[in-house]
Parts: sequence; structure tokens; C-alpha cells
Amino acid sequence: MSKFVLDVRGEQCPVPVIKTRKALEEHGECCEFTILVGDDNAAQNVQRMAKNRGYEAEIAADAEGKLSVHITGQEGIAPEQPLQEAETVCALPVAKNGVVVAIGSGTMGAGDDELGRLLIKGFIYALSQQETLPQTLLFYNGGAHLTCEGSPALDDIRSLADQGTEVLTCGTCLDFYGIKEKLAVGQVTNMYAIAEKMLQASHVVKP
Amino acid sequence: MTKRLWLVITFPSTTAAMAMESYCQKHDLPGRLIPVPTSITAECGMCWRAPIESRDLFDVAVADDVVSGGCFYELWL
Repeated sequence: MSKFVLDVRGEQCPVPVIKTRKALEEHGECCEFTILVGDDNAAQNVQRMAKNRGYEAEIAADAEGKLSVHITGQEGIAPEQPLQEAETVCALPVAKNGVVVAIGSGTMGAGDDELGRLLIKGFIYALSQQETLPQTLLFYNGGAHLTCEGSPALDDIRSLADQGTEVLTCGTCLDFYGIKEKLAVGQVTNMYAIAEKMLQASHVVKP
Repeated sequence: MTKRLWLVITFPSTTAAMAMESYCQKHDLPGRLIPVPTSITAECGMCWRAPIESRDLFDVAVADDVVSGGCFYELWL
């Protein structure tokens, strides 16, 4: 197993995340990465970005307290997400006020489905551009398609996840639609967790 | 989130914006639809956002009258 070491100590956010993301892309043949980071925030940002892309990522500290993030993937499987545009990931603008956005459809509103697909795509993009982001995004029923491969909103949902928003998709729904293997961002969840998230939310936003 | 300069093309209607999306996919032009930034207008609508360096690629869309009635902007988004 080949190894790749990247030193981003002294770099300010979002540089560590960007450089790590590029390294994961450019050295896809490598299966083990060690990212040397300067502080805990950088470590967490790098770890979150890697996990959102399907890697295992663990933060470690040596005897002197120097931090690193160890990233591993499945051998032979290259990073599935190419670097898109110049979107960057940093900080944690996620609200701690428990705002949950529940998306139960691949469309927004009732009426014309083509318009509805356009609107939900625009809504998720607009969400990703807010100064304060929702704490959790829930996807269920037809909304489950949005977190899977081929979704037109995937880049924006990834951007939200990279910035700290929790992304959860209903496992029953993924199974029903036969797209469980296509989940591309966030975690699978169940109805108990969905109910709990909604009940504990300060606000539930349903577009 | 770090901002960068983008080419933004607005349209006179939502259907025109949707037609632009189809056109760009067909002609392999870069970019995507986004809600019109409030720095352009407070009104609702969709616009095409593309890398600023791709500006010349959209001459073909102008020639094909796909962006008729629209406007080109350069915006930090």
C-alpha cells in the first residue's frame, strides 16, 4: 500500500481542506494519506471532508501533541468526487439552534414537476450560500434521490456537508427505490432518528 | 465560504432559463442554473452561472438567440 504525506501546517483555512482534496484526487492510486495539520479546527475540517467523500479518516496526535489526519480508502477505488469549481470548505457556519431542513421530495412545491425540480435545486444551492447553515438536512421518500449519484443537487449538498451540516437519508427510502448503493453524501438513517431530529429541532423547514 | 468572480446570465423568464440549461447541456457549455442573486434583483428568477473565463464560449448561445432579452453580469459569488 503506497503512502502519501501532505504537510499543511501553518496554512490557514480553507487551504488545508483544498490541498487535501486535491491530493485525494491526484493521488487516487494511493490508499493511505497522512495530512499534517496545525490545529484542531484544520484537523476536523479535513476529517469531515474526507469522510464526506467515503474515506476513513482519523485524527491522531503524537507524543508532542502534533496533529495529523490519517485517511484511508478502499484499495483500487479512486476518489469518486472530482474537485468541482473553486468551492471551498472551512469553518463551521452551522447553526447550533437546531434548524432541520426536511426534504421529502425531488421537487419543490406542487404543480409542474420540471419547475419543481428546478426549484428544489435552486433552494439547496441557496441554502449552501447562507451565512448560517442548517444543522441537519433530512432526505426521505423522493428526496432520497437528491443525495445519490446523478443528483443535480449533489455538489451543493456536499458543500453543506463539508461545512458541517449533518446530511441524513432515509434507509427505507433508499432501499425502496433501489438506490442504496448510490448514496453519495451523508449517512443512512432510520425513522426513529428522523423523528428524533424533528422533535428536537428548534425549527423544521420543509421546502 | 470564499467568493470568486463568475459570469452570470439572466433571462426574461424562468422558461428561458430552463431552455438555457437544456441548450448548455446539449452544447457542452459550462455552468449551472442558480437563483438570481439579490445583488442583481430582489425579484425571483433563475440565472446561468458559469466560470468567468468561459465568457467567449457563450457567443454561440447569443448567436442562437438563446439569451435573447437577458443580461450578462460579472459577479463575486
